[in-house]
Amino acid sequence: MAIHEKSLIEPERLLRHETLVVDGVDVSGHWNTMITPRTITDYDDDFEAVIQRYPGAENVHRCWQCGSCTNSCTMYAQNVQFNPRYWIYAVRTGLKEEIIKDKDIIWQCVSCNKCTSICPKDVRPEGVMKALAHWLEDEGHMPKSPSRVFDEEFTEQIYARGRIEDSLVLLNFFRKTGQPLVPQWLRVFGVRLMQHLPVGLGMRFARNVLIAPRTRSWGRTGEVLRQYVREQKEATHG
Amino acid sequence: MQDTVLIVGAGPAGLSAAAQVASAGYKAVLVEKEDVLGGAPIISGYARLVPSGEWAKDAIGRMVKRVEEDGNVTIHKGTKVTQLNGEAGKFTAKLSNGKSVKAGAVVLATGFTHFDSVNKPEWGFGTFPDVVTTTQVEQMVTAGKIACPSDGRTPERVAILLCVGSRDRQIGREWCSKICCTVSANLAMEIKELSPKTQVFIYYMDIRTFGLYEDRFYWKSQEEFRTKFVKARIAEVTAAPDGRLLLKGEDTLVKRPIVIPFDMVVHAVGMDPNMDNPEISKVFGVGLEQHGFIERGEHYTNTCGTTRPGIYSCGAAYGPETIDDSISQGMAAGARAIADLHGMTRKAS
Ligand SMILES: Cc1cc2nc3c(=O)[nH]c(=O)nc-3n(C[C@H](O)[C@H](O)[C@H](O)COP(=O)(O)OP(=O)(O)OC[C@H]3O[C@@H](n4cnc5c(N)ncnc54)[C@H](O)[C@@H]3O)c2cc1C
Ligand code: SF4
Ligand code: SF4
Ligand code: SF4
Repeated sequence: MAIHEKSLIEPERLLRHETLVVDGVDVSGHWNTMITPRTITDYDDDFEAVIQRYPGAENVHRCWQCGSCTNSCTMYAQNVQFNPRYWIYAVRTGLKEEIIKDKDIIWQCVSCNKCTSICPKDVRPEGVMKALAHWLEDEGHMPKSPSRVFDEEFTEQIYARGRIEDSLVLLNFFRKTGQPLVPQWLRVFGVRLMQHLPVGLGMRFARNVLIAPRTRSWGRTGEVLRQYVREQKEATHG
Repeated sequence: MQDTVLIVGAGPAGLSAAAQVASAGYKAVLVEKEDVLGGAPIISGYARLVPSGEWAKDAIGRMVKRVEEDGNVTIHKGTKVTQLNGEAGKFTAKLSNGKSVKAGAVVLATGFTHFDSVNKPEWGFGTFPDVVTTTQVEQMVTAGKIACPSDGRTPERVAILLCVGSRDRQIGREWCSKICCTVSANLAMEIKELSPKTQVFIYYMDIRTFGLYEDRFYWKSQEEFRTKFVKARIAEVTAAPDGRLLLKGEDTLVKRPIVIPFDMVVHAVGMDPNMDNPEISKVFGVGLEQHGFIERGEHYTNTCGTTRPGIYSCGAAYGPETIDDSISQGMAAGARAIADLHGMTRKAS
């Protein structure tokens, strides 16, 4: 078959031949491109239920494929491969492979919720997008997102000791995400800060820490203030 | 009193109920709030009706004439019922014209209200003059000329958007209006007849030309009149610099975005519950179902019933309904009312 709408077909299924002879007939030239048929051997019947277990995706079964979400989508306007309607269809019919194939763009949803406010069936497609991104991570199709690494470190410390050490959370987070402790941007920031920091101001900081000066003509104001707050508290709490 | 049935609303359903009551020798009192009889097809100026193909003013006109000429039917136009006392067999109704009516039974044939497209602002009605509703196109067909309201030109391309004000949780309308698919397929053919060069596109989510309407309207519109059916729900209607309308959406079947210029965009508006229903519910003491239509009594043995004995209903008052079915139901409600009255007099004697 000659194919005009090549953009609709996955590149790996397009077969191009310089010369081609079919049943003894030379069909080179215009007829040089063929597609391999795509056969669906199985639907994963549980896939929809799996996705519905993620918060936000509970309504995915309501979809009737009208396309309103895709029409209104911020990301679709940038890239027509970003198609929430289609992914929802794939979820409903159990076409996992279709989701995995688009794993590199599904996470790009910007959570603008335009889809959610237009959907006539109240499917809340934004929640489905989030669920799919999480599912891809859970199944190991995507590297863990930084926020997930952070959350895991946080909860592990709670489990272990009932409390967290801020610095340890940060340290381990940086280590696990392969980030240097002092990233390049922070270094540049620090250097510039030093360059532009007024030295006099720094000195004043230091002196104030040592002798903690009072506001001028503060006098008994502090005492009065304390008294006032005490009275107010008594008035309200009796 | 037990020989009189009060019928409220003179659309296809009410006219049919009145004719039924009168032909059995009972008296019908018909109360209609508008100054004309005939209901939506007459008040909104529909063109040729589905499925008969007859002009609304002829077909419904015959129904009006039949009751106007019947000595057993009393008609109050421009009138509403303001109060109803009593019970089945002996109701007394006060009318807004000061009169009062004694009746043994009441039939509510109060119909529906057209969805107001202003409630879907993204589809441009009220913003662009060339965005119109199916009722406006019906009127154009009746007048014999399809023209863009903005400048009177004949449209080269017309888009009909289905399910406007129906099947939409966002605006709390979770029902299908039942007839607009068929009416739209029919309007596409009527537009083509008046202006053969005009291209008509119908944007749909599902096509519901139920029963015998499938081949006579859907297939005929597609095959003989070349109406193009596109499976897409439009996201928004905007204007191009040249003043034409732009439809933005996704053609779902080819999974690709579309932005298409049109000269006229038609909203296939749905059927809302009659906006008088809260008032009707109070005055007549009948319940409304969850969408706001009149609540049906148990249907199997209390056919045409409501939640109150002695008060019956029919047609679009119960929910979206076609003209033909409204007429049949009107006849059934009229028959049910007089049968119950007959039963009461027999028991009393
Ligand atoms: C654009 C459009 C086109 C359509 N075309 C077709 C078609 O071709 N074929 C078809 O089968 N169906 C069609 N329909 C559906 C059709 O309009 C309805 O089936 C029909 O009007 C229902 O009849 P009804 O008598 O129940 O209600 P209505 O026609 O709504 O009549 C109700 C009557 O009651 C009166 N009334 C309301 N409240 C009160 C009150 N409180 N007191 C007194 N009177 C009151 C109203 O003024 C009105 O006269 C169309 C609908 C739309 C929106
Ligand atoms: S929330 Fe995500 S999927 Fe929804 S419209 Fe915005 S970018 Fe698109
Ligand atoms: S807008 Fe809602 S119903 Fe329509 S395709 Fe998107 S998720 Fe499905
Ligand atoms: S009849 Fe068709 S256009 Fe009307 S609400 Fe139902 S599906 Fe939508």
